[in-house]
Amino acid sequence: MTANDLPASQVKRPLLARFGAPVIAGYRAARDLGRLFVDTFVAIARGRASRKQVFEQAFEIGNRSVPFVVITLGVLGFITVYQVAHQVAQILPDFSMLGAAFIQMMCREFAPTITGLMVATRVGSGIAAEIGSMVVTEQVDALKMCNADPVEYLLAPRTLASGVMLVMLTVVGVVSATIAGMLIAKAGFGIPYQTFLRFDLVGVSDVATGVTKAFAYGLAIPVIAGQAGLQATGGSAGVGAATTRAVVNTSFAVIVLDFVLSGLAYVVFDK
Amino acid sequence: MIRFIDIEKRFGDRQVLDGVSLDVDTGEVLYIIGSSGAGKSVLVKHLIGLLRPDAGRIELAGRDITWLSEREFYEVRKQCAMVFQNSTLFDAMSVIDNVALPFRKHLSLPPNEARVRALAKLDLVGMRHAASWFPSDLGDGLKKRVAIARALTLDPTYVIFDEPTTGLDPLAAAQVDDLIRALKHDAGVTSIVVSHDLRSIFGVADRIAMIYQGKIRLDGPPSAFRASSDPVVDQFVSGRPTGPMQT
Repeated sequence: MTANDLPASQVKRPLLARFGAPVIAGYRAARDLGRLFVDTFVAIARGRASRKQVFEQAFEIGNRSVPFVVITLGVLGFITVYQVAHQVAQILPDFSMLGAAFIQMMCREFAPTITGLMVATRVGSGIAAEIGSMVVTEQVDALKMCNADPVEYLLAPRTLASGVMLVMLTVVGVVSATIAGMLIAKAGFGIPYQTFLRFDLVGVSDVATGVTKAFAYGLAIPVIAGQAGLQATGGSAGVGAATTRAVVNTSFAVIVLDFVLSGLAYVVFDK
Repeated sequence: MIRFIDIEKRFGDRQVLDGVSLDVDTGEVLYIIGSSGAGKSVLVKHLIGLLRPDAGRIELAGRDITWLSEREFYEVRKQCAMVFQNSTLFDAMSVIDNVALPFRKHLSLPPNEARVRALAKLDLVGMRHAASWFPSDLGDGLKKRVAIARALTLDPTYVIFDEPTTGLDPLAAAQVDDLIRALKHDAGVTSIVVSHDLRSIFGVADRIAMIYQGKIRLDGPPSAFRASSDPVVDQFVSGRPTGPMQT
């Protein structure tokens, strides 16, 4: 039996091909994602996102995520303040800067990033599943036949809505975490509300960094999830795989963007 | 006239089309047949730019359209409509909005005018009464009729039907067959029908092309298929479960 007689899956490929194939696939995926980002932003800039759809998506992405974000950030604020206050009480029983430092960290780091991760899982999976289902049932092809560009029709409204609503959700997250932290600080360590609720350390750079991060996550999540959906193949198994890929990729993107934007913020604001 | 010339298409390790050449004459009803996964739908999707070939080219009315841009293909899609296998109506839109969508997007008509024109198309398929319904309210046969109305919105010269009778009851299937015949006789529409519904194939087709193992196995009138001594063609046409065909 020769190699030509074997099924393709059993043919042993040369070493270079085995290592090269994933590299080429990775390069193509990155190139396609880059194109999708450009196409989506161009569609938004040209005003092609339907206003009705933007509002519908803003409600879906933003309003429906509020309970999720309030509970998650509230619990995070509760735990963080309790643990930090517990450590401070053992080393230096001075709680005067606890609230100010906590609020600064929330604005700059935790609220946008944790909110981003929450939205990545809830909204990213939904977008990938919806678009993936449309791909495997040929609805995306049908859109093209109707002269409706899938990027303009599906991704542009979601991206615009997500960018704006993630900033709003981050504000909600900061408020929720701060209230939860304030309550546990008072109940657990007797820290007065007015001592905790200080904004001395929160500067323009912290707010700008937090808002920039939230906006960037908001723009990235629908495009990355959308790409996963658009690449779905086969039936329900393909949609499931696309959904998993979307959650992994969007979460990873939030972490990478956090790293990059945090570094940039230190270069720009703290030099 | 439509010409597929030496079309090759591979998905991963699988060579789906391996040098398919096929002409479609103006005004005829051509059925493309073959077993599931033979590449019938893959071939016709090349005509409207939903897939691009690995090799070969496609000509429409003498013009090479193989490598048109996505935007240029929108013009081709005005001439070549497609009725998809699963009807692919948009669930969030009512029946009339589904049919009005090509008017709004291709012709940029205002919503009210698009809806008036869409109603006329729904009349053609006897679905005016369901204009305000949603796709979830419709059975498969009715969805297919709405999908046909949507495909006919721009009075296309060519219509591709992807398995139009699959999943339909015999009455609904016969109505679809009648509609394909009527499009040819009343409007001179050229139809390419992807199907493996033997009753429909031999009842409607002017010409049949069979794809097998990535190539055209036989291309001719229905009588040529009935008289064929090719064991593969004979097995498919007679619907025998055993024989030389590899699926």
